Amino acid sequence: MNTSHHRWLLEQLPKWEGEGILTTDAARTLRERHVADASQPGAAQIIMGSLGALLIGTGLITIIGFNWDDFSRPVRLVFAFLPLLLSQLFSLRVMLRGEASAAWVRETAALLQALCTGACIALVSQIYNLGGEWPDFLFWWCLLSLPLVWVMKSSSVAIFYLIGIAEWSIHQVWGHQPWHASPMIYPLLLLGLFPFWPGWKLDRPLSTTLRWVMTISAICGLCAAAHHATRMHFAESWGHFDVTLWQWVLTSAMLALFPLPSAALDDTSRHKPQVILGFLHLLQFGVVATFLDMGQELAKAVREAWQVPWTWVLIGVIAAFAVHAVIRRRWAVLSVASIAITPVLALVLGETAQAVLPWLMTLHLSLIGITLIVLEFTGRRGAPRLGAALLCVLIIARMFESELSLLTKGLAFIVIGVAFLAFNICMSRLARQKQLPQP
Amino acid sequence: MKALPLVIFAMVALAQWAAPLSQIWTHEQTLTQGTLIKLKCSAPDPYDPLRGRYLAVRPEQREASVPAGLKLESGTHVYATLTSGADGLATISSLSLTPPTSGDYIRVNVGYAYESKATIEWPFERFYINEKLAPEADKWFAENIRGTKGIIAEVRVLNGRAVLADLSLDGRSFREILKERVK
Repeated sequence: MNTSHHRWLLEQLPKWEGEGILTTDAARTLRERHVADASQPGAAQIIMGSLGALLIGTGLITIIGFNWDDFSRPVRLVFAFLPLLLSQLFSLRVMLRGEASAAWVRETAALLQALCTGACIALVSQIYNLGGEWPDFLFWWCLLSLPLVWVMKSSSVAIFYLIGIAEWSIHQVWGHQPWHASPMIYPLLLLGLFPFWPGWKLDRPLSTTLRWVMTISAICGLCAAAHHATRMHFAESWGHFDVTLWQWVLTSAMLALFPLPSAALDDTSRHKPQVILGFLHLLQFGVVATFLDMGQELAKAVREAWQVPWTWVLIGVIAAFAVHAVIRRRWAVLSVASIAITPVLALVLGETAQAVLPWLMTLHLSLIGITLIVLEFTGRRGAPRLGAALLCVLIIARMFESELSLLTKGLAFIVIGVAFLAFNICMSRLARQKQLPQP
Repeated sequence: MKALPLVIFAMVALAQWAAPLSQIWTHEQTLTQGTLIKLKCSAPDPYDPLRGRYLAVRPEQREASVPAGLKLESGTHVYATLTSGADGLATISSLSLTPPTSGDYIRVNVGYAYESKATIEWPFERFYINEKLAPEADKWFAENIRGTKGIIAEVRVLNGRAVLADLSLDGRSFREILKERVK
């Protein structure tokens, strides 16, 4: 449950008490158990505060864009620094007031200061006709805003930072960047947010919005790093994009396996975007790899990928995360993440790898589909609907590739559709039975 | 209130001032103490969402000769020595990997090098203008850029740094001409 769920529950308690649904003791127990963290702003507060700050900041930048060249240089510089100074004083006041400041005021102050910092740098570069590239500007703007995330515990500045470093990483893929100015430093930039929570146990759980933004930022940043590493390794020669594609699959496996504390394992999927997005990519890759004409390209890509050091980094991290997942008994996640490793198993077969790989992937996906269903029926954490959907997609893919007549294919699709719907109905009934009180 | 967040906040606030102030310091030094160099240019009227309208300034000289024995790669920083001709316009007379001991020079990036030539990426490319003057500036630029006199970029140069100070036509400042045209 996140903060907004706790707030909703606490709002309902007096009504339920009044209606006699809950006793006073039960309501007190619930109040003690579901304390709303006042330091965590609600989504509406963040949005409103951030919008206000964003409008003021954008207004300042637009006024700067007009270019007041009737004024002397020193006067224009005062215009650049005055909003920054005022926003810093506002933030200082908010910090000194501590808990007395409302959460949305803290968010607004932090975001406004971050935007005023960008506006100040932009105005100075306008006054002196400095050229400079957008990624350089963005990089320094993000770094100068990052500490505000730590000291003001600002989610909106954290979101700005995550979007900024992802955008910067994508820009830096191209060109001849040394490693320290390339997307390879994205993991370090991401770690810069660590003091926001802080601690490995996630004592201060991240909001769902922040988790999604962080996951999407990580996907962009890490995929950019993989692409850059491959380009540099093969000296920017053409024909190695398949290597990058496989590294992206490894990145998805790494994200899906990302260690979670025990308490977070029971969260709904919505709160684990890294698992949802990782699964989607891995399964899509798995299904594509089952087509017979994909074997040759994939086998070649995996052979070449071993030469790239970034692949070894990804494999090393996946291995460490997999050990953690075994300890936590995350079998469903482990089974889907293993799709990324299937092409490696095929390589053991040497020259026949390209012919065997699509069949091996078909077998692997079928086993995953069955495992995800069986886990649920043996009392473990499974994903039966996902397993059934995977089996359906596999059969449909094989149908497309087969030489069967249109009539046969049509009938087969109808049978699969009916079976899938029947399974869905069975699962819904089973779930309802579990929820009913036992006599 | 704990002291550490306040200390970090103070450091951030200082850093947020220091970054633009250091830019101001180096560019003010160049503007006040640098040598005035004039470069003939060629260009249009683009827009930067953060900094407003600007004229894209491209000096006419796009490549320079590479001295024998000097191997340059794309992205390498080199020092370009500038020499003024009889018409008062400067051109790059030589390239070196270290700053020359005499004369005016600026640090530039090598675009790409081939045989004995290298293309140059100049360290200035934008001249920001008032939004109201921008449409007129665009017309003025289009009318004069291909003229025999051409538009001249006035650049202050000091210790390898260059700051674009003004644009001029026939010895008259670009801003003066524009204000007359807008009246």
